Amino acid sequence: MADLKSIEPAATLDVLGRVCPYPLVLTKKKLEKLNSGEVLKVISDAQASVEDSIPKYCEKHGCEMETVKLEDKGYWEIYIQKK
Amino acid sequence: MAIKKIAFIVEKLPYKSETSRLALTHAIASQTVEIHLEDGDNVEPVLAFVGDGVLNCLKNQKALEVYGVSSLEAHVKNALLLDLRVLVCKEDLEGFGLTEDSIVMDAEEIGGEVTTQVVPYEEIQQDLESADHLMFF
Repeated sequence: MADLKSIEPAATLDVLGRVCPYPLVLTKKKLEKLNSGEVLKVISDAQASVEDSIPKYCEKHGCEMETVKLEDKGYWEIYIQKK
Repeated sequence: MAIKKIAFIVEKLPYKSETSRLALTHAIASQTVEIHLEDGDNVEPVLAFVGDGVLNCLKNQKALEVYGVSSLEAHVKNALLLDLRVLVCKEDLEGFGLTEDSIVMDAEEIGGEVTTQVVPYEEIQQDLESADHLMFF
């Protein structure tokens, strides 16, 4: 699997403070605008979205995904490569 | 493989019940259900405000200070942010002496790209007739 976080993201989506379902739906909307192969960086503090809905969406759509938890900041960075 | 069109029709006044808030919550949440469906299946929501329900779209609601709850206005903006089709009945809006200037027409300040459509009831009825499921709130 590619080291997605080392790839310059084509776009960054900050959904800090937003809870389910917004992180997933806004991620979907942003991904639709990217080209195949481009990486989207999502910043989220919504655990359910980070650990459940966004991974399920990526799996369903064949997107590679990598999650980094920033313990000190209390949020996650998610790197998603559009298929 | 199918797209199911669901119409969420809001007829009730905002506040003092959870009715219209539930409509907005369900319409917004319907945008995520594809992750639980078979490949190719999805839901296309349309949110229509008719009758007293058009008052849910009013600008400058003071819900937090009056009722201590979040504003329906903010939920309508969130629906627009998520590209939902939001329809408001033109005749009912006029019946209250309101215009497009009185209601939430866009959510530009939070990144929304679509706008509210104020349309004659006839157009809303066409949407209802083409929907697979109708949910009245």
